[in-house]
Amino acid sequence: MTARAIRSSRRISIKNDNTQAFLMLLPMLCGFALFTYGPILYILRFCLYKANDFKSSYIGFDNFARLFTRDGAFWDAMLNTVILSFGKLLIEIPLAMFLAILLNRGQKGTGFFRTMLFLPAITSTAIVGLVFSLMFASFDGIVNNILQSLGIISRPISWMGNKWTALEMLGIASIWNNFPINMIYFLMALQSIPKEIYECAELDGVTPWKRFWKITLPMIAPIAQVVVLMAIVGSLKVSDLVLASTNGAPGGKTEVIMTYVFKYFFGYSGRAVEIGYASAMSVVTGIFLAVISLVYMKVTNKMNQVY
Amino acid sequence: MSFRMRKRIANLLTYLALCVIFVFVIFPIFYTFMGSFKSNQELLTSGSTIIPHEFVLDNYEQAWNLANFEQYTFNSVYMSFFIVLGTIITSTVAGYCFERGKFKGRNTIFAIVVSSMFVSLGSLTLYPTVMIAKWFGINKSLWGVIIIRVLGMNVTNLFITRTYIRTLSPEIDEAAKIDGCSFFSTFVHIIFPLLKPLIATIAILEFRHSWNDYMMPMVFTMSNPERMPLVVGVISLKSSGEAASSWNLMLAGTAISMIPMILVYMIFNRYFIQGMTAGAVKG
Repeated sequence: MTARAIRSSRRISIKNDNTQAFLMLLPMLCGFALFTYGPILYILRFCLYKANDFKSSYIGFDNFARLFTRDGAFWDAMLNTVILSFGKLLIEIPLAMFLAILLNRGQKGTGFFRTMLFLPAITSTAIVGLVFSLMFASFDGIVNNILQSLGIISRPISWMGNKWTALEMLGIASIWNNFPINMIYFLMALQSIPKEIYECAELDGVTPWKRFWKITLPMIAPIAQVVVLMAIVGSLKVSDLVLASTNGAPGGKTEVIMTYVFKYFFGYSGRAVEIGYASAMSVVTGIFLAVISLVYMKVTNKMNQVY
Repeated sequence: MSFRMRKRIANLLTYLALCVIFVFVIFPIFYTFMGSFKSNQELLTSGSTIIPHEFVLDNYEQAWNLANFEQYTFNSVYMSFFIVLGTIITSTVAGYCFERGKFKGRNTIFAIVVSSMFVSLGSLTLYPTVMIAKWFGINKSLWGVIIIRVLGMNVTNLFITRTYIRTLSPEIDEAAKIDGCSFFSTFVHIIFPLLKPLIATIAILEFRHSWNDYMMPMVFTMSNPERMPLVVGVISLKSSGEAASSWNLMLAGTAISMIPMILVYMIFNRYFIQGMTAGAVKG
């Protein structure tokens, strides 16, 4: 647009509501385009390059070839992420649901418990990682000591020394950090169920067990579908928890996808910076996340159509 | 068994279950706070006890004076303050413009903004973000984080404000317009003051987010430890190589970083839970 055109359009319309609305929005739209879609374009460009902080050269699809044929560690990290996410959600979601049902009984003191049980959700995830790695320390850690004094284990477990125990620790920390928010979502869903349905069921002599499967669950299914999706995507994107606790220990075996790629981008803990390759991995990860979400939506869509 | 008896047993079992979970939930927090009062020697030799033999404030003094936590705390407060302030302005303005503005392409732009929720790369976009910030020369300080968070348009906040503004009756706007208010001054004088309850919610959510954030401030302060906020400062002690000897500092730092959050939560509890669930339903 030429200067004169701008001036004339302004003369006509600075008083115009719609122009004002657009102008008010403009700074945010610029920021949004720059910082939300900018990085994605950056990644899409650099996934075809071999690049570090100083120079870059076009190499076509070599990064992807390397990723699919020669980088076992990436796929290990992806597998870890999937195992960790689904493993912990198998406990986290039922736990959250269970607690929501208990809190929904409306007994005395429920408010106190709701406030207290929500505390983990306001704690920084990185801090959770740090605290749990202290609690699970192999030498003189509090968890080992408690387990020993209860007689469950005879010798201290080296939690960080083995891939599976380290993943267990991550899972426990993550459950601790994330169940409260899901609990609150479920509680909200439960409170939206009309009481009359339960009264009818009671008249018909429905057992509590049956009541849960036949009434409660179908009624909250639409919200549960979204909550579980958010939980899945959120846990597949876990990064700060792992960086702050195991940081891949032992020997990179608990690396999750986000931390693995992150380290290629920033050369964190002594790795060479490979931006092009990291971008390629990001693209694959993004597609992977999208596919998981789509498959999940497809599979669970009939949950939405029960009522 | 009578109905009342069964009910009583059920209530009892509920309390029992809640109490067990309560212990698990509180334990790590309690342990951290107790640990922060232990002397370093006690931490290293007998990490097994929960209650310290003797309460010492030494860790806090050391963390505050020697380990730079005074600076970190200041950075955290500084960063959170500007992010909260900026976000309140940007999200209410955005909500207002999208709801009441009738400019061309409004729905398309809104759809583009919302769709960013589904393009989720998490911390993978951090590096490109830093690179973009570098063009503007804001990649070495917390201002980078502040600007990105404030202008980056948070979809949840946008949804909350837009829905809230929809509940305000359009006659208010029309009345203001007849009295000579422009679109902008209607916002400043009429709509913004009406958004008070919403602003509390946004402020609290944003405070929680910015205070607890780790990845973004971490990459922006990588080469500039002086500017680290609390959480980043605490975690950086862990990877600093002398981790074993600084557990006392880490625990004290953790406690310092948790106290404001817990206080705010206890005071504004209602807004917290409201806000977090509102974001989920509409988001």
